[in-house]
Amino acid sequence: MSGRDEAPALPPFRNEPVLELRRAAERESLRASLAELDARLPLAVPVWVGDDHRTGEDFASTDPGEPERRVAVAAEASAADVDAAVARAAEAQRHWGRRPAAERAKVLVAAAAVLRRRRLELAALEVRECAKPWPEADADVCEAIDFLEYYAREAIRLERGPTLDQARGERNTMRYVAAGVVAVIAPWNFPLAIPTGMTAAALAAGNAAVLKPAEQSPATALALVEALHEAGLPAGTIALLPGHGEVGAALVEHPGVHVIAFTGSSAVGREIVRVAARTPDGQAHVKRVVAEMGGKNPLIVDDDADLDQAVPAAVAFVYAGQKCSAASRVLVHESIADTLAERLAGMVELLRVGPAAELETDVPPVIEREARERILAYVELAAGDGRSLATAPVPTGPGWFCAPTLVGDLDPSSRVLREEVFGPLLALERVPSVEAACERIEALPFALTGALFARNPETVAAVAERSPVGNLYVNRHTTGAMVGRQPFGGNRLSGTGASAGGPDYLLQFLEPRVITEDTTRQGLVVD
Amino acid sequence: MNTTTDPARLEREIEAVGRDLVDHYPSPVRHPIRALDERAIQLSTRDAALRAALFRLVDVSPACRSLDDLARHLAAFAGEVDQPAAPLGAAMRAAGTRAGRVALGAAVAGGVRHMAHRFIAGPDPQRALGELRRLWLAGIASSVDLLGEAAVTSAEADHYADRCREALETTSAAAARYPPRPVLERDPAGALPRANLSVKVTALTPLLRPDAPRRGADDAAGRLRPLLCLARDLDAHLHVDMESFDTRETTLELLFALLDEAEFRSGPSIGIVVQAYLRDSPAELERLVAWAEGSERSSPLTVRLVKGAYWDHEVVEAGQHGWKPPVFELKPESDRNFERLSHRLLERARERPASVRAAIASHNLRSIAHAIAVHRLAGGDDAGLEVQVLRGLGDDLAVALAGAGLRARSYCPVGDLVAGMAYLVRRLLENTANESFLADRAQGTPLDELLAPP
Repeated sequence: MSGRDEAPALPPFRNEPVLELRRAAERESLRASLAELDARLPLAVPVWVGDDHRTGEDFASTDPGEPERRVAVAAEASAADVDAAVARAAEAQRHWGRRPAAERAKVLVAAAAVLRRRRLELAALEVRECAKPWPEADADVCEAIDFLEYYAREAIRLERGPTLDQARGERNTMRYVAAGVVAVIAPWNFPLAIPTGMTAAALAAGNAAVLKPAEQSPATALALVEALHEAGLPAGTIALLPGHGEVGAALVEHPGVHVIAFTGSSAVGREIVRVAARTPDGQAHVKRVVAEMGGKNPLIVDDDADLDQAVPAAVAFVYAGQKCSAASRVLVHESIADTLAERLAGMVELLRVGPAAELETDVPPVIEREARERILAYVELAAGDGRSLATAPVPTGPGWFCAPTLVGDLDPSSRVLREEVFGPLLALERVPSVEAACERIEALPFALTGALFARNPETVAAVAERSPVGNLYVNRHTTGAMVGRQPFGGNRLSGTGASAGGPDYLLQFLEPRVITEDTTRQGLVVD
Repeated sequence: MNTTTDPARLEREIEAVGRDLVDHYPSPVRHPIRALDERAIQLSTRDAALRAALFRLVDVSPACRSLDDLARHLAAFAGEVDQPAAPLGAAMRAAGTRAGRVALGAAVAGGVRHMAHRFIAGPDPQRALGELRRLWLAGIASSVDLLGEAAVTSAEADHYADRCREALETTSAAAARYPPRPVLERDPAGALPRANLSVKVTALTPLLRPDAPRRGADDAAGRLRPLLCLARDLDAHLHVDMESFDTRETTLELLFALLDEAEFRSGPSIGIVVQAYLRDSPAELERLVAWAEGSERSSPLTVRLVKGAYWDHEVVEAGQHGWKPPVFELKPESDRNFERLSHRLLERARERPASVRAAIASHNLRSIAHAIAVHRLAGGDDAGLEVQVLRGLGDDLAVALAGAGLRARSYCPVGDLVAGMAYLVRRLLENTANESFLADRAQGTPLDELLAPP
């Protein structure tokens, strides 16, 4: 062994524990971290390609609770930046992809350690940049750490390749090789975890990544790129291209991109799939699209459900309905519908809408003005197609606060029952049976998450068998999927398949190579 | 004052107290139904799958629409048991026909009702009065606990507060007509209220937020304040129960804020709970005792020492979040801590009877005998110590304590079956656990072992 410096095996994966905010001492640490961050705002987010940083004040991210507060000022990536980033990535990937998985894993685990060290600061940044309430912001940072740690181990596992059948006289081996350059187009609602998940998977598999964060959350994405550099990721293997839709579109069209990892709306996702299917001259591959898109998530409540649990689970407004997994339709058995409606309404009326930084807040502001206008339009539409059952007061003030709303008796053809609102709007529907609820769900184009509250194991088995959703939650809350425990992703128009944080995810960033060798010589088997 | 006792002497005293209590236990022959229940507890302790099926059935029973529906649930749960025991196999066959299901459903409903009656004193305070009086006449005091679903709306919390008011009025009026029972009515600090109500913070407010305890505490204060006034005017005791760790800070904030109000200087008599399974319970006890000793209130703070009833929940929740559980993970650690806390609590109650009252709540003969023994060896009067048990689980123990001339108080849940189900399941789970003292007793473990140090 020529002085091989083998890294010790990684300990088994374990989810990063979230802060135990029910303890006063842990809550105390939050205030200080927010004050320290505020003193540094606005942060500068550069276009970052290789070793080149280019700062600029092309656009800003603002605090949704106080839109006057600028959280970050960012440079907007140009078409030339996109070309440069992809070219640098292709070059860097040739070296990075040849490194043993254990070495790549070491870099990702080191990046996880950087995020862990900066946990409170990054949670504070999410509170400001995206109005993520503290527990949500903290969980997002933890999930980002989990993705780095989990995919690092997955890369090592997959490097060995699967075992193939062997016939006498031949040797079959299979291994996985990185696809090449991955464009990561990320949303703002999990501003660190989702970009980190897609990027970490790409890098762990030996690809280079070009990251286009959401224009609403560039500063949080910058923290990921900083952590990867600090961890020793070679320059060029990751590029940061802040900007708007045009930057993402240029990446999707770019012939040098092999895989597009996208999380966002269904409309944009489908457009990406359409454009990515083209193979212009000079592009010798078909692009793969890994897309996580929207949902219209149902929650079924059967007549034997424990309503003490079903009611809080149905009102999933902790991030103002902006988690893709949150329930937005409740389908309740008619025999208990009145009771459930009354309890849901009573709970919604108590919700406190307020700033994300206050732990007393139940519903933070939504991300931006356009989101608020869109949600208010849906609320108005819902009131016309049915009736409003409950709402809660919103603070006066400049933030993008939206009243949480429960609606019922909607016309079955109402768009509110089909379209993703992405806001604190919950629709209640009565159904004669769980079967009828399943039929309505099957009629939906989406299949992201679903939830069932029922205590008969036969009902649970029947719904599990029938439901097309990527994640079905039974008798529990419907958000907060954990890496390694609840691999997460949607089916149908909600996504292209493999669940993030699960055992199949990395395969989407790899291509298989099978080698078959004849081991006979002169008719003799010499293997 | 040094109250350390010679360990060998303490163990001898514990054994003597334990044997004396056992001599006062009612004979099992007089309670054939109870013997049957204990047989069921014994069975389900042995078979984890059967235990799971039974719990899930009990849990869902109030939500079932009909006997037919109940039987279908039973059959579905039984279907998940790998090798169903003979009675379950028969149940599954019966569930194949409608007539069979109705018969089976009736049997299950009857079984659940029977079990509920064992734990629940009555569907409402009025209809529990007979049982409360019967206990009093037998020399056993009581504390009424109104079962309720978790409050998720203001209306539900208001309704609970109304029921508490009604319970205070009803039970106080009835208690005024009780014959005297000096053991139950006086301790070294003075008179003890006859009417005693336990309240739960999770029912008093829908705004429990573990990360923001002030919200729930402020909201619950609005409902607890009138109850405190009423309890003071009726000379009733109000005991604030302790639930899961998520609610502890809210509960303590609520209590301290209210009791510091000038209005409550002169009453009512108030109690709080310390859960010995919590790792930080020694510090919590010190905090409560220090608060009570520094308080200007005219009546002492009653501290009920329990082991804690949310162990599974705490361990599961901590495990899912990657937290160190707030509770001791091994039962003997809780038992040893319970003894240390009993020792400390009784010491403070002896030294400052005007500030602290001690209530030792357990069904574990060793834990109870230990508390009585340390108290006596330190020169304490039996009147300075109260033992609390749960109705349905500690009934024999309460009779034995009363027989031995000690003050026993039975915690009596009152409410309908739907509201009571969470309570019932928790109690059953607790007492069919492998390490349960009651299960040990039901299995005939020798007395020496039951009285051995944890």
